[in-house]
Amino acid sequence: MGVGAIVRVDAPGRVVFGVVMDAAAYDETRLYTAAVLRQDPEEPLQPVPLGEVRMATDDDVRMALRMDGYTGGNRGTGIPVGTYGSAGLAAPVYLDADFLLGPEAAHLNITGVSGLATKTSAVEFLLASIFQTFPAHKGSVAALCFNVKGPDLCFLDQPAELSTEDLASYARLGLSPTPFDNVRYYAPCKPDGVNLNTLRTHPDLAANTEPLTWGLREVLEYAEVVLNRDDLDAKADAFIDFLADRVVGRDFQAPELHPQEWRVLTFADLEAFFRAIFDSLENSNRGDIWRTHHIATIRKVRNRLGNITTRAKGLVTDDGASNDLPWGAFADRSVYVVDVASVDPLAQDLVFARVVSKLREHLERRDLGVDHVVVFVDELNKYAPADGPDTYVRKMLLDLSERGRYLGLVLFSAQQFRSQVLRRVVGNAGTTIYGRMDPDELATAGYATLSPATKIKLATLPKGELMVRHPHFTQPVFLRFPRPCVLSGREGVERFPPAPDLPFDEAVARQLRSMDPGIATDRVRAIVDGRREDDVRRALARTRQLRPDDVLAYFTAALGRRVEPELVTRRTGVIPLRGTADPYSS
Amino acid sequence: MKIAHLADLHLGFRQYHRQTPAGINQREADTALAFRQAVDGVLAARPDAVIVAGDLFHSVRPTNAAIVFAFQQFQRIRADLPDAPIVLIAGNHDTPRSTETGSILRLFDELGVDVATHEARRFSYPQLELSVLAVPHEALAQAERPVLRPDGSARYEVLVAHGEVDGVFPSDRSTVEYGGALVRADEFGPGEWSYVAFGHYHVQTELGPRAWYCGSLEYVSTNPWGELRDEAEKGVAGKSWLLVNLDTGIAEPRPIIPARRVLDLPRLDGSDMSAEELQAAISDRVAAVPGGIADQVVRLVVTGVPRHVGRQLDHAVLRGWKAEALHFQLDLRRPEPTRITGVGAPGRRQTLPDIVQDYLSRRQLPAGIDRAAFVNEGVELVASAERELAED
Repeated sequence: MGVGAIVRVDAPGRVVFGVVMDAAAYDETRLYTAAVLRQDPEEPLQPVPLGEVRMATDDDVRMALRMDGYTGGNRGTGIPVGTYGSAGLAAPVYLDADFLLGPEAAHLNITGVSGLATKTSAVEFLLASIFQTFPAHKGSVAALCFNVKGPDLCFLDQPAELSTEDLASYARLGLSPTPFDNVRYYAPCKPDGVNLNTLRTHPDLAANTEPLTWGLREVLEYAEVVLNRDDLDAKADAFIDFLADRVVGRDFQAPELHPQEWRVLTFADLEAFFRAIFDSLENSNRGDIWRTHHIATIRKVRNRLGNITTRAKGLVTDDGASNDLPWGAFADRSVYVVDVASVDPLAQDLVFARVVSKLREHLERRDLGVDHVVVFVDELNKYAPADGPDTYVRKMLLDLSERGRYLGLVLFSAQQFRSQVLRRVVGNAGTTIYGRMDPDELATAGYATLSPATKIKLATLPKGELMVRHPHFTQPVFLRFPRPCVLSGREGVERFPPAPDLPFDEAVARQLRSMDPGIATDRVRAIVDGRREDDVRRALARTRQLRPDDVLAYFTAALGRRVEPELVTRRTGVIPLRGTADPYSS
Repeated sequence: MKIAHLADLHLGFRQYHRQTPAGINQREADTALAFRQAVDGVLAARPDAVIVAGDLFHSVRPTNAAIVFAFQQFQRIRADLPDAPIVLIAGNHDTPRSTETGSILRLFDELGVDVATHEARRFSYPQLELSVLAVPHEALAQAERPVLRPDGSARYEVLVAHGEVDGVFPSDRSTVEYGGALVRADEFGPGEWSYVAFGHYHVQTELGPRAWYCGSLEYVSTNPWGELRDEAEKGVAGKSWLLVNLDTGIAEPRPIIPARRVLDLPRLDGSDMSAEELQAAISDRVAAVPGGIADQVVRLVVTGVPRHVGRQLDHAVLRGWKAEALHFQLDLRRPEPTRITGVGAPGRRQTLPDIVQDYLSRRQLPAGIDRAAFVNEGVELVASAERELAED
């Protein structure tokens, strides 16, 4: 018996289930205080009778946590989340998929101190559990994870060695201890455009790791993300809207510019367009206004947009080549990991905003490829803080938590300090998990409903244990979950050390090898030797987009044949044709 | 540093049936005349280099007259501008489908013209600090294209190519020459060259800073009316070649005075006109052509003309106009058929008199007939037939 133990009180005509919330000792006497989980029958509600108190059995746990309502039968919706253990018991505990992934409630939030492998491990285990047990009649499900620090989520497809205890726990929960079958990694490039900006660069892992690169169109759709700085005003917004609606990707006619017809597709085109506006204003002496936009506003927008290609170089390309997530072709039980751990915060904002917005758009149109998507975002203290500026990412996370469940868009989020996260974001989470907590955090108002003993238990939780709140559980419950069957970030980096940044040609070869392992570096080196890096990057992007059968042949063709210069010396002609009149003379 | 940019000469192009006194197709002679005029202009402008961006000939096997004429004109340039490089590439019209056919353009190599027929070639002229990447149609049609980038070896770097630049051609494509290789703008990077000289599209069009289609010198496509429309939309006044200053990037159109005008007369709406009224309206349109239609290429589109009205026009007069003009096309278009499609729940079913009345009230009528009386008479006829049936 201890804090968190589930107990059963039997009385004539009534059974009451409770969970121990507090305890006190008086010499040899122990006084336990339990909160009621469930009464049977529930009506009429009566005081808890005096009766014999016993530790709960498997069936008692199932009844106490109301799991009898959603587990078992053909259309059960239980998702194993861990085992409840007390006095040698290891009773499986299930979350209700309807309350975890919608439509009744949705979202999950995890709080816990760093370094105890609670937050990331719990999400990894729960995702594996969802993928294995999400009922077929509820549709398809995929996960999109943002890796925001270190190698945390970089090895989801690599198996870990599990202890006998963990294996037994998997068996108890009816789960298979295997890593994720279908994982695809996306990471922006480094500024050289070919080396990936991720810790998952070991050659053995290259097959499912792709670059994430966007062009002007992709960026301008979400210009407000990267431009929502204090110095941007309504006038700049209006000019950006003008660019997005009238200029970019369209045939734009401007008789006053040189040339008069524009088709702006890339950042390079956009720069030429800005230059043409400035030239036009300078040459025509028509003042400082171009189409109602002041030249200062135009310069400001040009500077901000130009800044994107500098700060987010590697994610944003000048020449418009893009490599994106498979919008419209998401696969059931697949994980898509977007690694933004090492990129500039501006680029992180852009990635968050665009990826989630695209998810929402596709789910609204029901053409994403799956019915539900779990989005995992760590470090909510950074991305959705209670205080601080109202950034686009924060607004997006709020919108996701408030509206997402109607669309099948589910937010799994984690942070160290729940009290310092935007209240509406965590408040909308139907299920909440707590790992070991910082005592200072427990002292904040949000934890006032917990008993002192529960707080002490939370502050001293061992690794692999957590406290769960779920709509079906009337009181928080302490559970143990097995270690996820994937390599942790630290183990992964030790087993698959990141490859050092390669010289340009070797990095290109490595990316080509991810599509065709038989491609030799020497051949690629010979092909790209002397070529401009921009051209090579463009050819690589086209090869990646098409994924042809003969990768090297396509890449070589896309790169184009070199035309060697021919020195032409002065040519002498021949004498005119004699006796031949102009055949067309009248 | 100035270059002359010409393209789409289509020597040997033939259209319509009129011949010159020497027995040559008149439009073929017109096309040659335009080229001769352009060469006159080039010699007067004295550029440092001459670029011909494809489709010198209209076909792979041009007429002997066209070959001799082209040879003579290039010989004139060669003789008058001995230091000016002449770069000639093959377009889709003068590229044979099989390589063993051989290209007639190689003949001009003997004149000191630098020719690219199948493969891209980069001509380097150190004395002019000029490098020209010449990319014929065939090079762009291959799977492995050449890299369309300057190599940084010269002060002036010019790209000359023949193909369809993605996104430039009009969306209805009625004036687009078929068979051109598609080129994406990012493939050649317009901002990186001193100048990009494209051929294939017959309407002069600026592709971007220092990048142009110079257009053809005559209306040598199968749809000259579409070309006229595109020119009007782009504000292009007729045909010209371009004299380009590589230092300033300014391309100056040098107009060609055409041998004859191609005229698409303002459309007429012939709805509800009798044959006499329509004949008069057409005559007015023709008479209003400044300078008359003699020896011109003319089209007049008349819409809403029922077949019986078209048949009643004065065909002797029409034949006269056709004889007077080099080509006179009276394009009579039938009225748009009116289709009535029912939607929603079925309404009251029409009786036979209803249907007759409805049809007669819409049918085209010869002029001078009172429609109300016509409809009444038709309806009464049907009603009397029904009465007779009932009595039987």
